[in-house]
Amino acid sequence: MNPHAHVRGEDLAGVDGTRVVRVEGEVDLANAHDVLDLILGRVSKDTTHVVLDLSATTYLDSSGVAMVFRLADRLGTSRQELRLVVPDGSPIRAVIELTSVDRVVRVDTAVSDAADRSR
Amino acid sequence: MIDQASAASGRRAPFAADRRPARLLDPRWRGPAGLVLVAVAYYVGARVGLSLSLVEQNITPLWPPTGIALAAFLLLGRRTWPAVTVAALAVNLPLTEGLAPAVLTAVGNTLAPLLAATLLGRVGFRRQLDRGRDALALVFLAALGSMLVSATIGTAALVLSGAITSDRVMPAWAVWWTGDAMGVLAVAPFLLCLPLFAELGRWSPARAAEAVLILTALAVVSVWVTLHDLPLLFLVLVVLGWAAWRLQLRGAAPAALVASLVATWAATHDRGPFEGHSLFEQMAILQAFNSGVALASFFLSALVTERVAASRALEAAAAELEARVEQRTAALSTANARLLQEIHDRSVAQEQLSREELRATREHQIAETLQRSLLPDRLPDIPGVDLAARYVPATADVHVGGDWYDVVQLPGGLIGLAIGDVTGHGLQAAATMGQLRMALRAYALHDPSPVEVLRGVHQLVTQLAMPDMATLIYLVFDPDTREVRFANAGHPPALVMADGTSWFLVDGLAPPVGVTADDHYAEASLDLPPGATLLLYTDGLVERRGVSIQEGLDRLALEAADHSDYDLEPLCDHLLSALLGETRNADDIALVAIRTSPRFAGPLELLVDAEPHELAHVRRTLRRWLRDTGVASSDENEILVACGEASANVVQHAYDGHGELAVAARLDGDVVVVTVSDRGRWRRPAERGGGWGISLMEALVDAVEIDRRPSGTVVTLRRTVGQEDAS
Repeated sequence: MNPHAHVRGEDLAGVDGTRVVRVEGEVDLANAHDVLDLILGRVSKDTTHVVLDLSATTYLDSSGVAMVFRLADRLGTSRQELRLVVPDGSPIRAVIELTSVDRVVRVDTAVSDAADRSR
Repeated sequence: MIDQASAASGRRAPFAADRRPARLLDPRWRGPAGLVLVAVAYYVGARVGLSLSLVEQNITPLWPPTGIALAAFLLLGRRTWPAVTVAALAVNLPLTEGLAPAVLTAVGNTLAPLLAATLLGRVGFRRQLDRGRDALALVFLAALGSMLVSATIGTAALVLSGAITSDRVMPAWAVWWTGDAMGVLAVAPFLLCLPLFAELGRWSPARAAEAVLILTALAVVSVWVTLHDLPLLFLVLVVLGWAAWRLQLRGAAPAALVASLVATWAATHDRGPFEGHSLFEQMAILQAFNSGVALASFFLSALVTERVAASRALEAAAAELEARVEQRTAALSTANARLLQEIHDRSVAQEQLSREELRATREHQIAETLQRSLLPDRLPDIPGVDLAARYVPATADVHVGGDWYDVVQLPGGLIGLAIGDVTGHGLQAAATMGQLRMALRAYALHDPSPVEVLRGVHQLVTQLAMPDMATLIYLVFDPDTREVRFANAGHPPALVMADGTSWFLVDGLAPPVGVTADDHYAEASLDLPPGATLLLYTDGLVERRGVSIQEGLDRLALEAADHSDYDLEPLCDHLLSALLGETRNADDIALVAIRTSPRFAGPLELLVDAEPHELAHVRRTLRRWLRDTGVASSDENEILVACGEASANVVQHAYDGHGELAVAARLDGDVVVVTVSDRGRWRRPAERGGGWGISLMEALVDAVEIDRRPSGTVVTLRRTVGQEDAS
């Protein structure tokens, strides 16, 4: 277990095929690769939508951003959609915005928003 | 220990002498009957003696009454003297002319044996005549010595009465003297030997037949030698020797008497060897013969008796010795057997004891091994976090087991600390503790919230229906903020020590897990001062026999306050030794100590290995510095990410192998200046993944300056910051 980050996943109640994967802690050069594997490990073939909840992520550097792009790439090849949740005021909000992640992946401020497929 | 007294009891010493004259004899002879017997015997003896006289009827070569009188005095006591005097008077009256010589002679005949008896008593004479000295005393003191008196008085009486002329005084005196002496030698031993037949036990028939044979042979030989002219008197001595050797006094005395009587009869009748000799020659031969007979028989019998007695004594001594040895051997073997039994018993007991000891020791060892294997084998190495822990197993019997602690690295750089105590000891407590520890670790990773963690442990204990009760403290420590959140389930409170003071964290207390049905745990939190130490411990540290727990807590607080400046490892050692002293700890002791970082004063300088896992350390240290310096939290994240990007660059690109990463920070007015430097070879930013690092840095801070040199690269970041309120 990587000491800096904890990854857990659960299906969103009432919404088929949507899995929320929550990353708690810090993601940097040291653990970005492991975190990617952990996230993918929480996703099954039946999952159509993956909500990556970064609400409890306290640090994310360029390695973490690269990890998010790589994740989106991997999920895209299996036609699975990725959405991010980064609340306003989150310590990683600036990095997400500065690296233009939102151009590739949809970024919401809450899990409920991300789970809404109509948007 | 062993009774030996009975070994020789009931035996008589073989030489125990009976010197009392006649006390052993039948008491009826002590009275008048005895006097009459003595008088009659004396008179009869005198008549026999007179029948053997050589010179008319006055002088006899063998005067038996003297021997009878001496024997009477020795056997019946000297008080029988009147009988002797009266009988002597009766014998002599017809022989003398007038009363006076008869009285005088009677007096002499009484005095001589009295003197003899007295002298013998003085020298310890034994009438059994069983020693050579007794024979000597009888011959010289009684026969030859004492009879000087009767011979002198008797001869004087003869002279005074005019019975003999003065020129015949010497021959008369000599004959009287020898006659009396012979009477003592021939008759007294015979009479003295008579009581021995009663005293010494009966002869066997064979012995009695031998006695008859010997006496017969002696009589035949005696008579035969006295009927021939040839001087063969000495042949008698051979038979006498036989009698003395085989029968001792009881054979020798009668034999000597018979021989003397026969020889004297022969002399008085001019028969055999005595025929044709003058009176003097006859006297000389007879006296020589009688003396030889007496001396030979008594000495030989005394000698044989002595030898027999000695050999019997030797036999008795040998028998006694043997008995004693047997008894002693038996006693020794008894003692030996007892000793062996005792040794056996002891070794059995010893074996049993050591077996039990071994079992207890084994159980102790197993419990301790299990305990140690269930505790963290080492604390996690968290850069920038100072941690120490101790586990001291109980030294006594099987009280080991049950105390535990754990340090869990949680997401976000948080550190979970737990310490607990399962009631009970031994293997089961150790096993329960192992389950609790693993469960707590899982709960903490799932949700670090102290209340949630305790709730989870509580549910586990309740569901598993664990027989043991458990106390524990769980707390979450944020090294960046120095904040600690904790909940306590019945455990001794954690201790905080800082700057020479200490205090217990008494909040957030709830009952031990598994005790009550409800699981309402309370969370408390506290911002620890920079450089403060937080100590978690189990009750073994503060509980001493005979000392109240409050006293133990007070001592701990005092020791902790006094030594709050110690490094953590020496601090743990000191607290253990100070609170335990020299005593063996009866209970387990577990300790965990964590120290918050000191407050930064002035610039930051940090040198770490250029390795990915150090990046978090760099971040935390810089974050703490920013906070201690009073930089507004709104600026914090941007500076951290910019510094993190520069540091990640060094880790990724500066070195082929190992190298170092140096981070420095200072505050210039309201500008934070952070430098990240390495001693490696710089590579172009285009070679880095995506180039986000540089653009991020430039976006997050006001200015980025990259100074490339052959010796390494220095990246300088500058950002104008706001100041946090001093609240």
